[in-house]
Amino acid sequence: MTFAIQFLINVLSLGGAYALMALGLVIVYGILRLVNFAYGELIMVTGYTLFLISGSALPWFVMAAAAVAMAVVTGIATDYIAFRPVRAKSVTAVLITSFAFSTLLQNAALLFISPRPRVIPLPEIFSRTVEIGGAITPMRNLLTIAAAVILLALFAFLMRRTVLGIAMRAAATNFTMARMLGVPANLIISSAFAISGFIAGVVGLLWMGRIGTVVPGIGLEPLLVAFIATIIGGMRSLTGAVIGGFVLAFIDTSLNYTLPQELLKFRDAFTFSLVILILLWRPEGLMRGPATGQRT
Amino acid sequence: MRRSIQSISSAAIAALVFASAAEAQDDTIIIGGAMCQTGVQAPLDTPGVMGAQVAVKYINDNGGLLGKKVQFINVDGKSDPVTVGNAAVELIDKGADIIMTPCDFDFGGPASREAQEAGLVGISACASDPLYSSWSLGDKQFTLSMWNTTMGATAADFALKEKGWKTAYVVTDQFIAYTKSLSKYFIAQFKANGGEIILEDTYTNGDNDFSAQLARLKALGKKPDVMFISSYGQDIAFITRALREVGYDAPVLGGDAYDDPALHAALGEAHGNEVYFVTHTFMTPEAHPDMQKFIDLYVDMHGQEPDTAFVATGWDTVMLMAEAIKAAGTTEGAAVAKALEDGHFKLLTGELDYGTAEEGHVPNKAAVMVELKGGKPTFLGWRKPETLPAP
Repeated sequence: MTFAIQFLINVLSLGGAYALMALGLVIVYGILRLVNFAYGELIMVTGYTLFLISGSALPWFVMAAAAVAMAVVTGIATDYIAFRPVRAKSVTAVLITSFAFSTLLQNAALLFISPRPRVIPLPEIFSRTVEIGGAITPMRNLLTIAAAVILLALFAFLMRRTVLGIAMRAAATNFTMARMLGVPANLIISSAFAISGFIAGVVGLLWMGRIGTVVPGIGLEPLLVAFIATIIGGMRSLTGAVIGGFVLAFIDTSLNYTLPQELLKFRDAFTFSLVILILLWRPEGLMRGPATGQRT
Repeated sequence: MRRSIQSISSAAIAALVFASAAEAQDDTIIIGGAMCQTGVQAPLDTPGVMGAQVAVKYINDNGGLLGKKVQFINVDGKSDPVTVGNAAVELIDKGADIIMTPCDFDFGGPASREAQEAGLVGISACASDPLYSSWSLGDKQFTLSMWNTTMGATAADFALKEKGWKTAYVVTDQFIAYTKSLSKYFIAQFKANGGEIILEDTYTNGDNDFSAQLARLKALGKKPDVMFISSYGQDIAFITRALREVGYDAPVLGGDAYDDPALHAALGEAHGNEVYFVTHTFMTPEAHPDMQKFIDLYVDMHGQEPDTAFVATGWDTVMLMAEAIKAAGTTEGAAVAKALEDGHFKLLTGELDYGTAEEGHVPNKAAVMVELKGGKPTFLGWRKPETLPAP
């Protein structure tokens, strides 16, 4: 029983973080049909903002809010710098500009701060543990689950009930048609980047809460996780991204628990084999997105 | 427009002349560094570069080497083995007389192979895997660091003979040769000393999920006397915290990857206790009488205190090169390699004696034990294992 509880908490907390990472990536992809390769750097920016203001006497909550705000600003900046000038011209160009923006941000951190890890401030609660049904669990895992539930609910409400959300869904379904009906394209795209930045900021806090430090390359792992999760779930479906995140966490955790030691070092190979099997069975991912619209 | 073209072309010509002049200069000895200043290897290599710069300035301020000026040129290896190899080729083209290679076998090896091919000596600043040997890289290749055989054995001897910890739990990060071989030699020595390994587990760098490992450890139903964690970078702090948070209070033991102030700060006062590690040196005069002199020179040049002991490996590498070149009286590869094999060197990172090329250029070296107390490192002293596991 203890074991089951432990396993469940682990899958949910890892899955919650993965689902949020995937959601932040897919919200931009859904509208633009373009992967934002500078997505991981939003998490990096969150971490370095937290590090840079850690000397101030502000309460942690305020510092965290500032860090998330900085991720939102960087998200919008990604749109203005890397996407908007070349968006209408070619997919290849955007691919390259988003990579370039990512490299630029990473090297800025490398040059102006340090290639060595920097410690970020964490509140006391992040290193506390609680006992649930005999399973000793770090509080931060429960916080991750809670944050994922709240954010996903908030996001679902935004997408279904607000004008902005409906406009974004319309743009994701058929961008040209939505524009013709008076949906302002630039506003919608910038909003998507802002939301992507917000989610990256929050998930960045939770992710780095596990690690305790930030390095210039910290965004690589979340970007990879988000990318795989969205591919499992379906590149164009928001629900799919969330499901993909949980599926990936389930696969990873199960393999971690069940593989014998000699095979554990090849865990990623098993994970990706399973991903391939899922894709053979469902080439478009688990969830089908809205009917294909034209790219902007 | 014409003016600007003219000025550009004259600048280009000037650059060409300057470049060829640099190549033709006979009054300089060029140390070529293929160290990685960007990417995953940067945290280990950048301090080495900064330490090397201090050493080069020190040598030049004190009359140079063989009557010549020493120049240090680094070409960023970008944490990519192929780029590291190309950086070495570029340096050799620029007239480098000796090559300083990155701090790891996987990243540094390609530079050493290029140096070997060009007949030059290559010295890694701190690669500790026994693969960094003349056996695999060639008879002119060395590493300044002790091998993992020494590092693992020192840790095992410390645990059993000094502290009396009889049972160990070992976690091995599957990241690079370093993390894997360090565990291997620790386990070999620990068992040879009569200790018991209650559980060996693996971890994948960057996972940030240790729950399955914790479940396996719990399933054992007993607690180890010591936990040996061979990982890399930030993950060490993560694993230590994960273990300590759920009540595994046993001492944590590890290698030189722990020698990182960011790691100590990340563990903090709460978890930065009962953590012990084996490393190259310690940045106080307790470890070496000349340490303060080096730190002063470093602050003079870079305007800040060194933030890790790895700066000393950069200084030592250049000093070792200088001593060997002085003893050989030339920068010619075979002669310098011979001088390195024959010499006995007193460095900030301890006394060093190399084995012959047949012995793999094994670095016979002592190690430093450090303990973390409240997140602050304290010097425990120099240790040298009497016996070593076979590489």
